[in-house]
Amino acid sequence: MIQLLHVSKRYPPNLQALTDICLKIHQGEFVFITGPSGAGKTTLLKLLFRGEEPSEGEILLNGQNVNRLNSRGVARLRRGIGLVFQEFKLLPRLTALENVALAAEVVGTSKRESCIRAYHLLRELGLKEKCDAKPLMLSGGEQQRVAIARALVNNPLLVLADEPTGNLDAQVSDETMRLFLRIREHGTTIMIASHDGSLIQRYGTRVVSLQAGCLAADLHRVKKQEGAR
Amino acid sequence: MWSRIAFVARRAWNNLRELFWTHFLTAVAMTMTLFVFGAFMLLQENLQNLLKGWGDQIQINAYLEKNLDTAEVQNLWQRIRSLAEVQEVRYISSAQAWKDFQGALGAQSGVLEGLPKDVLPASFEITIKPAFRDSPLVAGLAARLKKEKGITVVEYPQEWVQRLSLVVLAVRWAKWILGGALFMVTFFIVGSAVKLALLARKDEIEMMQLFGASKQLIQAPFVVEGMTQGIVGGLLSILCLWLLFQSLREVIPSGVGLVGPLAQFEFLDLRSAGVILAIGLFLGGAGSLFSLQRFIKTWRS
Repeated sequence: MIQLLHVSKRYPPNLQALTDICLKIHQGEFVFITGPSGAGKTTLLKLLFRGEEPSEGEILLNGQNVNRLNSRGVARLRRGIGLVFQEFKLLPRLTALENVALAAEVVGTSKRESCIRAYHLLRELGLKEKCDAKPLMLSGGEQQRVAIARALVNNPLLVLADEPTGNLDAQVSDETMRLFLRIREHGTTIMIASHDGSLIQRYGTRVVSLQAGCLAADLHRVKKQEGAR
Repeated sequence: MWSRIAFVARRAWNNLRELFWTHFLTAVAMTMTLFVFGAFMLLQENLQNLLKGWGDQIQINAYLEKNLDTAEVQNLWQRIRSLAEVQEVRYISSAQAWKDFQGALGAQSGVLEGLPKDVLPASFEITIKPAFRDSPLVAGLAARLKKEKGITVVEYPQEWVQRLSLVVLAVRWAKWILGGALFMVTFFIVGSAVKLALLARKDEIEMMQLFGASKQLIQAPFVVEGMTQGIVGGLLSILCLWLLFQSLREVIPSGVGLVGPLAQFEFLDLRSAGVILAIGLFLGGAGSLFSLQRFIKTWRS
């Protein structure tokens, strides 16, 4: 479970990115963080994996206070979190398989085991034939799937995705969303920062809306995702 | 554990291969620094050997008054023999001195004809214990001997010993001063090479941090790279020194002046070679770590 208790974030000299955010997110939830540019969506995600530290308030991840972690603790925390970025952030020198396997290797998995896991994931995401391709040889959708495979390779309990469909066309965006839903079925919490209204409309079961760094709305929707079927 | 070691080794190897020329040039800089340091070390060790060789031969000649009788000579011998610094005292009679002198002149000994055979004074050849062969101690002993009744003149090769001691001291200081300055330069060269490697790998490191890689795992390959450069630089410098040493040995014949008979030139022993390698290893590792800490700090801020 994720808890944000009166969390604020200020950037020097005087930029208030988040103000007094209180949120509770349960394991296995599928949450959209939405709001206009500059509303604080990315900052909120960064706080969760300690990419940033809050100026005030506390963030608890499964009861663990994220702010109080030392560098070793931060590394351990991140091993349980899968990150997906709008610009994919794949390493151009490495193949798709190597990109995914690297994430497993750096947490101590052997090269062989990492490659096996990476291969299975890429196969599951329909990229079996692209394992040896370098990122530049892949389409945007394929790159994003590789990035998602990389985020999942360490079996995270939480996936944080920052505008994961920002660079993708509508069809690929839909595919990506369906993929996130499938991942969620395994009990993984998914938090997606997005300002794509139509996607949120179709897939969002919980929508946290930010306005100028403040929590504007927190909507729990009963409606299931037809778009996923 | 093993998978992490393998990961670090693989990354270090890839980095070394991909930035080969940067690493090669750094290793060359390291070689030059360690070569200069090693050359001073070699010089110092051989001068010390030379000094030791001379030291082994340090003896004080105390010339005696002509009219001493046997009992007085015996007494004097015993007094000198009982001094803490003295290892051995050999009495050279006037006749023996004459004979030795004749022998030293060889074919020219005819020039001595007509001279009285007791023209040369009797003397004591005093050998000093190794622990007392330092210049000030030898000078002190000579001064004390001069005050002994029955001794007229005291001679010893003080000037040469003092000069050579000064040279050894100067070489030792030069080794550390020049070596230290070069170490600093090399330290920053290694740091710059690591900085280049870091810049080339910035995205990868960023991603590794986000995946949860530990600080040690991220830094270790760069430290291994630095240490590899240090070892390579150290080995190359020892090889260059050995080649220089061999060529100088051929140029300088073994019996030149005072040097040849007194000291056999020797190459660095294993301990000294180990010191050079250890300095290379330290320079490489510490230079990398220093750069890593600074760079990652700037990067975060």
